[in-house]
Amino acid sequence: MTFGSATDPAHAHRGPARVPATSPASMDTAAGMDTAAGMDTAAGMARSDTAIWTRGLSKRYGARRAVDHLDLQVPRGALSGFVGPNGAGKSTTLRMLLGLIRPSAGHGHVLGEPITEPDRYLHRVGAMIEGPTFHPGLSGRRNLDQLAILRGIGGWQRARRARRVEEVLEQVGLGKRADDRFSSYSLGMKQRLGIAAALLPDPCLLILDEPTNGLDPAGIREIRALLGQLAGAGMTVFVSSHLLTEVEQICDHLVMINNGRMLFQGHVTDLLAAEDPRILMIPEHDADARRLAGLLDDEGLRVEIDLCSGPPDASATRGRRPVVTAHAPEGLAAHLNRLAMRAGITLRSLRTQRPNLEETFLRVTGEIDGDLVRSAQAAQAPDGSVPPPAGAGLDPAHSRGGAT
Amino acid sequence: MITAFRAEWVPLLRPRFLLGTLGAVVACAVLGTVLTFFSVGHQDFDGDPVTAAALSRPDGLIQGVEAVSILLGVVALSVVAASLAGDHSHGTLRNQLVAQPHRARLLAGKLLALATFVVVVVAAATIVSVGLSFLLAPTRGVSTAGWSGWAGLAELGTGFVNLCLGSLGYAAIGALAAILLRGPAAAIAVALAYALPVEMLISRIYHPARSWLPVQLMQEIATGGAAYAMPYADALLRGVLYAGVMVLLALVIFRRRDMTA
Repeated sequence: MTFGSATDPAHAHRGPARVPATSPASMDTAAGMDTAAGMDTAAGMARSDTAIWTRGLSKRYGARRAVDHLDLQVPRGALSGFVGPNGAGKSTTLRMLLGLIRPSAGHGHVLGEPITEPDRYLHRVGAMIEGPTFHPGLSGRRNLDQLAILRGIGGWQRARRARRVEEVLEQVGLGKRADDRFSSYSLGMKQRLGIAAALLPDPCLLILDEPTNGLDPAGIREIRALLGQLAGAGMTVFVSSHLLTEVEQICDHLVMINNGRMLFQGHVTDLLAAEDPRILMIPEHDADARRLAGLLDDEGLRVEIDLCSGPPDASATRGRRPVVTAHAPEGLAAHLNRLAMRAGITLRSLRTQRPNLEETFLRVTGEIDGDLVRSAQAAQAPDGSVPPPAGAGLDPAHSRGGAT
Repeated sequence: MITAFRAEWVPLLRPRFLLGTLGAVVACAVLGTVLTFFSVGHQDFDGDPVTAAALSRPDGLIQGVEAVSILLGVVALSVVAASLAGDHSHGTLRNQLVAQPHRARLLAGKLLALATFVVVVVAAATIVSVGLSFLLAPTRGVSTAGWSGWAGLAELGTGFVNLCLGSLGYAAIGALAAILLRGPAAAIAVALAYALPVEMLISRIYHPARSWLPVQLMQEIATGGAAYAMPYADALLRGVLYAGVMVLLALVIFRRRDMTA
C-alpha cells in the first residue's frame, strides 16, 4: 500500500503553504531503492529542498536493526511530525542526524551537510533528544549559560550571552523561575527549559523529541503556538511525538516509521485522504444491529459491528449500544438511512467519520488488530449482545477499518 | 576547546560542589599537617624518626600536605570521574555534543578545566597546610627560619608542582574510568579499588612492581621521589607516559563511541 501520493486530487494544505513539495514514500519504496541518485528522482524532491535527507540510513545493534534503510525527506520550512510506536527507531534516527551515533549503513544530509560531519551543521541546529537533561544542581539560567558558552554565543561578552539566554527563557515562559535549581522544576518546566536550550542558537532546524511531554493543556497550547510561530518564521521544525492529535493539529508534514522502517512520509492531509470514510449507525433497538449489518452487507458494503464503543445508555441493561459501521462515503448516509427505514429499523444516531491520525497510525502500525480481536471476543460473549453477521468484517484479516 | 574549557567551569563552580571539594582537601591538609607536627619525637609510617630538626629544613614546610598526597589524589580522581561520568549519567553530554560536536575539542576543553580545578584544589590544600605549619612550628620546637628564605620558597614551589603532578596522574585514572564506565559511582569505585587496594597488594607481594605501577609512580612524583628507592626523573617520565596514554585512550574512546546515554 502506498500513501501520500503527490498527485492525489484530494491533497490540500492544512496550514500555510510552506512545504515546497510532497514526498511520497511507502514501505515498498523505502526498502527497495539503494542509490542516492535513484532516490532523488523517485522522491521528486532535490536534496537542496530538504532540511533532512537520508538514503538507506540504517543502524544495527548486533542482529537487531533499530533503523532499517530509512529514506527521510523533511522539507525546509516545514513543521514536520515524526511518529512511530515505542521502539520504532525514532530516537535512534534523531541521534544519527545529530551525530551522536554513527549509522551502520546509508548516508544523509542535514541542512545540506553530510551527517558524518556534524560540526558543519550543528551550529544551525537546536535539539532536545529524549527529554530535557541538565545539571540538577544548577539553575535553569546557569544551565542555559553553560550551553551558550559552549556554542560561543556572545563570544566573551557576558551581557550579549545573558541577553540571548533571557530571550529564550521568556520565549518559553520560564523567565520567573529561571534562577531556581533545575532539580526543583516540574516536568513541564523541564520541558520548557529543554526547548529553550534548543532555541539558543537561533537555529534553522529545530529537532524536538516529545516536546509536550508533561505539559498541562495550557502549556501544550503555548508550545503548539510557539512551534507554529517558529515554522511560520521559516524555521524547519521536526517534532517526534506520541501525541498524535497534537501532530495532526500542528504538523503539515509527517514521517511515520515502525520497526525502523518507513511507513509514510508526506502531507498529513494526503495520509488522511487515503483513509476510507465511514458511516456509523446506532439502531434504536440493539436487536436490529445484526439485521442492519446484514442489509448493508447485501448492498455490497463492508460492515463492522462494535458492541463496546457506542455511547452509554442508562436505560439499557448494558452500558453500551452496538454501533454498526459501514465503510462508505459521506454521500451514502441518506441512502443508508432510507434503507434502514424501509426495513423497519429506526436509527437513533447516524454520523459520518473520517479516520483521524491516531486511528490511521494504529492501523498502519498494526496496533489496531488487537482492538478488533477484543471486539470479536466481546461479540461472542453470551451476554445477550448481538453477534455479527458472517463476513461482516470483525475478522481482523478482512478488516481495514479502524476502531468505531 | 576554549569554549568547552569555559563551559566546564559553570558546573565546577556550583557552590555546593566547590565548597564540598575545598572542604575535603582542606580537611585533608589540616589532618596531614597536624599529625606531621604531632609526630615530632615519634616515628612515621615507614618507621623513620620524625624530628624537629628535619622539619626545620627548607622542605619541612611542605611535609604536612605531602603526608596526605594520597588523599589529595583520591579527591582529584573522584572529582574528575564524578564530573565526566556525571555528564553521561545525567544525559547532559547529549546537549553538550550538539552544542560542540567536535568531540576531541569538547573532551580536551573539559579535561583542561578539570586539570585547572585540581591545581586550584591542591593550591588551597597547600596554602592551608603552610599557614598551619607556621602556627604549629613553635609549639613543637620547629624553627621556621629555613622556610622563609629562597631555599624554602624553592622547596615549597617544587613540592607544590610535585603534588599537582601526582594529583593530575590520579585525575587521569579517574578520567579514563569515567569514559569507560559512564557512571559516577562505578567509575569512582572501580578507579579507587584499582588505585588503592589492588596496586598496594601487587606492590607488597612483588616489590619491583612499584617502579611500574601507575599509582605507585604518581605517589612517587607527589612526594618528590621520597617514597621508594627510585630516581625521581624515572618516576616522572613513566608517570607522565602513563597519564598521557590514559588521556589518549579516553580521547579515542570518547571520539569513536556512540552516544547512547
